[in-house]
Amino acid sequence: MTLVILSSLTLMIFLSALNGYRDSMAKAEQLFDSELIDKARLLSLSFSTQTINTQSNQSLVQHKISAITENDVFAFQVWHKNTLLLKSAFLPDTAIANFKTGFQDNNVLHRRWRIYGLYNKTNNLWILTAERMDLRYILAENIIMGTILPVVIMVPILGLMIWIIVSYGLLPLRKLSSALSDKRADDLSSLAVEKQPIELTQVVISINDLFRRLKVSFLREKRFASDAAHELRTPISAIKIHLHNLSKVIAEDDQSFSQLKQAVDRMGHLIEQILNLNRTSPEQYSKKFTTIDVYELAQNIVVREYAQFDIKNQQIALEGEHAIVQGDVFSLDILLHNLLSNASKYTPEGGSIMVTVSGNKTQTQLQVQDSGPGVPEEKYERLFDRFYRLGGDRHASGTTGCGLGLAIVKQIADLHHAEIVLAKADNSSGLCVRIIFPKEKLI
Amino acid sequence: MLLSSVIIILREVLEAALLFSILIALAKHSAVGNHWILWSLALGLVGAIIYGMNLSNISEWFDGVGQEVANAFIQLFIYAVLVIYMGVQVYFKDQAMTSKYWFLVLMIVITSLAMTREGAEILLYFFSATRRENHYVSVLIGMIIGASIGISVGFLFYYLLVNLRSLWALRIGLALLILVSAGMVSQASLLLIQADWLPAQMPLWDTSTFLSEKTAMGQLMYALIGYEATPTAIQASLYLFGLLFPVGIIALVNSKSIAYNKIAETK
Repeated sequence: MTLVILSSLTLMIFLSALNGYRDSMAKAEQLFDSELIDKARLLSLSFSTQTINTQSNQSLVQHKISAITENDVFAFQVWHKNTLLLKSAFLPDTAIANFKTGFQDNNVLHRRWRIYGLYNKTNNLWILTAERMDLRYILAENIIMGTILPVVIMVPILGLMIWIIVSYGLLPLRKLSSALSDKRADDLSSLAVEKQPIELTQVVISINDLFRRLKVSFLREKRFASDAAHELRTPISAIKIHLHNLSKVIAEDDQSFSQLKQAVDRMGHLIEQILNLNRTSPEQYSKKFTTIDVYELAQNIVVREYAQFDIKNQQIALEGEHAIVQGDVFSLDILLHNLLSNASKYTPEGGSIMVTVSGNKTQTQLQVQDSGPGVPEEKYERLFDRFYRLGGDRHASGTTGCGLGLAIVKQIADLHHAEIVLAKADNSSGLCVRIIFPKEKLI
Repeated sequence: MLLSSVIIILREVLEAALLFSILIALAKHSAVGNHWILWSLALGLVGAIIYGMNLSNISEWFDGVGQEVANAFIQLFIYAVLVIYMGVQVYFKDQAMTSKYWFLVLMIVITSLAMTREGAEILLYFFSATRRENHYVSVLIGMIIGASIGISVGFLFYYLLVNLRSLWALRIGLALLILVSAGMVSQASLLLIQADWLPAQMPLWDTSTFLSEKTAMGQLMYALIGYEATPTAIQASLYLFGLLFPVGIIALVNSKSIAYNKIAETK
């Protein structure tokens, strides 16, 4: 924008300067021309043909002519009929122009001259006054240059001033835009209104109002999900008790009954996962990090969940060494639980699951590999989306789930500033999930 | 001295600035990046210095008309590359530029060659004027004014083109390029007439009283549409050819491009 203003200004200023220059030069030409006429008249009046050697003529010869050198602007000839009476010393003895009244441009002594012819009727005299065009051009230009030069010097200064003024004027806008872009995605706090100039106050007030309404609706949405999940827990527990009671009167192999049981289990799982998601969300979470041995934690969870693997006849192995992270036991428990139950779900009967814990000076790694069908690489990013399940609602493995497991894992990993790397498992087609806890979170 | 140095510098700078501004604006719409501008400027500067330093030798070629002939052929070469560039630009107008590399080479060749020619003339004028005259202040000021006007006009053209919608920018940009390139053919023919390679003729008409080439506006028209107050028949017919040839090429390429797109769509 500054450049556009500057270009337009430069263009206009210089064009008008050029115009002024041309006008002034034309005016100067007129001035010089009228001077030539005056000089011719003066010569005509003061020169007397009656007696050539009068004192006035002598003084003209002495004072005027001797003063004239080749570098002078002015020269003249005085002719009587075809006799040259008087001339500037350096001029030739031939007429420098035709005998006619008015202006002519002629070459004399390899220079261009502006010549004025004047005829004196009473004395039958031809007065030719001349000025060197190049010299008078330079003379005129020198005078006019005095007005052009400041303009040329002024333009860069003007440019600098425009640049400073425009940048300064746009500073609040730039600050506001950087304040907005620096905001974290979940930061909906208001911007300070009092720091803004009057022009931007209304904009900031409107933005703040928008933030406030967004914040309220975000909170409402979040609270609704967790409240609903929480409220649903009690009836689900009641249904489970009734199911247990019913199992005593209904045959175990009743198809409707076992499907009902599965559906209730699935609903219970979903509600637990929604609650977990809510509990581990950064807004809800208050940091209470302690030093945790990941290996020990993994050991406990493997033991606790062993029944799950046993049912499907799966091999589970824990390898590695003791490695510690600064973290939250509760959420890391959920993380491992989700990873293991995912691995178990997608590993076919009789398959194997490998949990590895390793640590060095820079990081601690927790790795879970299954021997399931694996995940195509282009789907890796989507796995962390909420309610996303590979291949739609029912996975090819035929297992059920709610699609929140890895979203929760991601949330917990983020909470610990850990990185999740997905890859193909080492010895099978399955998926390998690697969580890398960085060094600065270690003691 | 001021006015003549303004006119001489304006003539050279304006032409290069217009070419630059149109090509940069069209490149912005084709999203091919900006690195090529630096290449053009660097190559153009080096070219101008080398060409300017050897101009006295070059001018001795062909019995003393080497400079005119060399300049005329540079102009004609730039014209040819410009026509190819316009063809490529029209052909790929709806698609991603598949041969970005060659497109950039075309733009660099056009701008750096234009800069070489114009820059050499400016350098030569600068050194001869400041060496010969003892009043070089007016020459310098004239050069500054001429260059500033030229660059400002170029930038304003760029700003206009870059703020237009893509399709209009392409249309207007191409129209300007066609005019500028036709002007180049006309200049080249004038140079060849000066070198006696083309016969000198009486001018067809004289519009110098209406718009003199010695004014800033006349120079803008000279750079933009190759305005000539007193063109000869050969010059005028070559100008017309220079104008119609790229129009024909663009029409041809456009119909091919549409046919290609239709085939691509049916596929």
